[in-house]
Amino acid sequence: SAETRPEFEQIDFLRDRHVRFFQRTLQVLPERYASLETTRLTIIFFALSGLDVLDALDVIDRNVMIEWIYSLQVLPTEDQSNLSRCGFRGSSHIGIPYSTKGPGVLHPYDSGHVAMTYTGLCSLLILGDDLSRVNKQACLAGLRALQLEDGSFYAVPEGSENDIRFIYCAASICYMLDDWSGMDIQKAIEYIRGSLSYDNGFGQGAGRESHGGWTYCAIASLCLMGRLEEALSQRELDRIRRWCIMRQQTGFHGRPNKPVDTCYSFWVGATLELLDVFQYTNFDKNRSFILSTQDRLVGGFAKWPDSHPDPLHAYLGLCGLSLIGEPSLRKVHAALNITQRAFQHLQQLQQTWKDSTVNNNVHFGV
Amino acid sequence: IDRKEWADLEPVPQDDGPNPVVKIAYSEKFSDVYDYFRALLKNDERSERAFALTAEAIELNAANYTVWHYRRVLLQALSKDLREEMRYITAIIEEQPKNYQVWHHRRMVVEWLNDPSEELEFIADILSQDAKNYHAWQHRQWVIQEYKLWDNELEFVENLLEDDVRNNSAWNQRHFVISHTTGFSDPAIVEREIQYCLSQIKKAPHNESAWNYLKGMLQDRGLSSPPGLLERVLELKDTHCSPYLLAFLFDCYEDALENSNQKENVGEEERKETLRKALEICELLAQEKDTIRKEYWLYLGRSLKSKSGISSPSDESPEPSVPASGQQEMS
Repeated sequence: SAETRPEFEQIDFLRDRHVRFFQRTLQVLPERYASLETTRLTIIFFALSGLDVLDALDVIDRNVMIEWIYSLQVLPTEDQSNLSRCGFRGSSHIGIPYSTKGPGVLHPYDSGHVAMTYTGLCSLLILGDDLSRVNKQACLAGLRALQLEDGSFYAVPEGSENDIRFIYCAASICYMLDDWSGMDIQKAIEYIRGSLSYDNGFGQGAGRESHGGWTYCAIASLCLMGRLEEALSQRELDRIRRWCIMRQQTGFHGRPNKPVDTCYSFWVGATLELLDVFQYTNFDKNRSFILSTQDRLVGGFAKWPDSHPDPLHAYLGLCGLSLIGEPSLRKVHAALNITQRAFQHLQQLQQTWKDSTVNNNVHFGV
Repeated sequence: IDRKEWADLEPVPQDDGPNPVVKIAYSEKFSDVYDYFRALLKNDERSERAFALTAEAIELNAANYTVWHYRRVLLQALSKDLREEMRYITAIIEEQPKNYQVWHHRRMVVEWLNDPSEELEFIADILSQDAKNYHAWQHRQWVIQEYKLWDNELEFVENLLEDDVRNNSAWNQRHFVISHTTGFSDPAIVEREIQYCLSQIKKAPHNESAWNYLKGMLQDRGLSSPPGLLERVLELKDTHCSPYLLAFLFDCYEDALENSNQKENVGEEERKETLRKALEICELLAQEKDTIRKEYWLYLGRSLKSKSGISSPSDESPEPSVPASGQQEMS
């Protein structure tokens, strides 16, 4: 218990500090955060999902958030010539005038980014939105345009690096929209299998060093696709379990012989959860490490003890604690990385979509 | 920004609407550069002044992928000197070696030049500052594979492992090189690699990377297949023990049990003994040598016992179909 531990090892969880950390994140950040400009939507996701895990979404104005997120949607132009570029932007950095409705504005360099489409949709769900203003067909067209022959995805249609991270984003988008026409699943599975390393973790692509983050992307993608046991044999799954569980040192690290880092308590922890063996890890040591990276003054979590907290580690630190059952934290859906509460909202939404399709079919005599 | 030079252009501010979220508070200087950048972008202007401005925009935020893309458009439209661009990107990567955009840009320029001649040395320099930089290793693999630069890579890897035998990236690169050159089918190569692993393990026993490499190389050919390997590992058990050595032994025994299912000449007594040794390893790991994974090793022991189909006098009742969870409750 907290009373019997020595004073220097305070491991109490400072919920209110974390709530305020995320509130401040959602407001204004100083100029030294400039490198986050094009990924601001992912930062919103970390803050909103973090507040959701803390069961503290009541501190924000949902409608304000929802409008701002919709302003980032790249919508089809009048002539629909930009369909392969649709999705969500990370921010307003291109200079498109603020608008939450279509038609889209023709601009030579405006297109969505797969990770922003993914976090944009998650954020809307977390806020309780019904996605009715999402142009789903446009998002899926934009997604199809990003997949390469080898099954991996670019982030943007103009081209970028391509790897397993964006397969995860694509799988999440298809899962949320309940429409797998956005990607060639078989090719994606081939790329994922090709990324399995000799040591039984997954790298960012074939031949590359295995890593906790990419292993999460691989396994979570297969789970979202419903193809985990089809893509990987029992023997392979057991070997992957071994690689993952060996990542625990106190908390978890991302690669053998690297230092532990708070975010891997989620990346590796969630993977172990998806593989049904998270229960065999050491919860106590994991918790102690995560809390040692807690910033007792400003809130949030850092990658290491005595380091500066940031939104990503603050969010994933909470998710890591949620996995081990920290009281007062909501449960997280391990594959989709949103709370079970937000996931249930998604399920209800998807049911209404199915129901309305049936009604339409009945009405039109299909 | 020299206002005269840009007088023809209307700067375009960022527009986050009435209630911006996660707004970054830019200085006037920063906004100035990017307001003009947005104006150029809107008109898709192809000019020297646009090219010069991308460098200023990059200096303020090298993670803005749109700026890099526009710069590439201009490099081609203006037929800029790509050798000079290589010098430019080299300097930027040296400052910001963990940025995705700068490595992607370098790859594009190398492809346009179709000249990888500077790459291995450049990457070696970046790795000398951080020997595990994932971007650097990825770029290195791409260059080697694309331009077939395999010849000296094994030597490069061995030098890195001399510096730090626990460098997991270097072990991964070793596997990459060999699998794409000689391969692992030749028994002479396998034996050479086994010897290499064991000698590194003797120098630094607590090294997961070396053990992962050894197991990874052999796991699909049968861990018990190289003759004498099990014995060579058992020799190290007392003097160079580690959780990885013990896990390797467990995997050997598990492998032997699986294969013995097909073999006629492996008697029941021998199988029982193999299982007993495997379970002994699990106990040792769970109770003493790798206690953080105690529950996992106990679970593995239960699974192996159940899979082996070998009953023992101590079995009172059927094995539970779902292994018991040993996890402590959060109070």
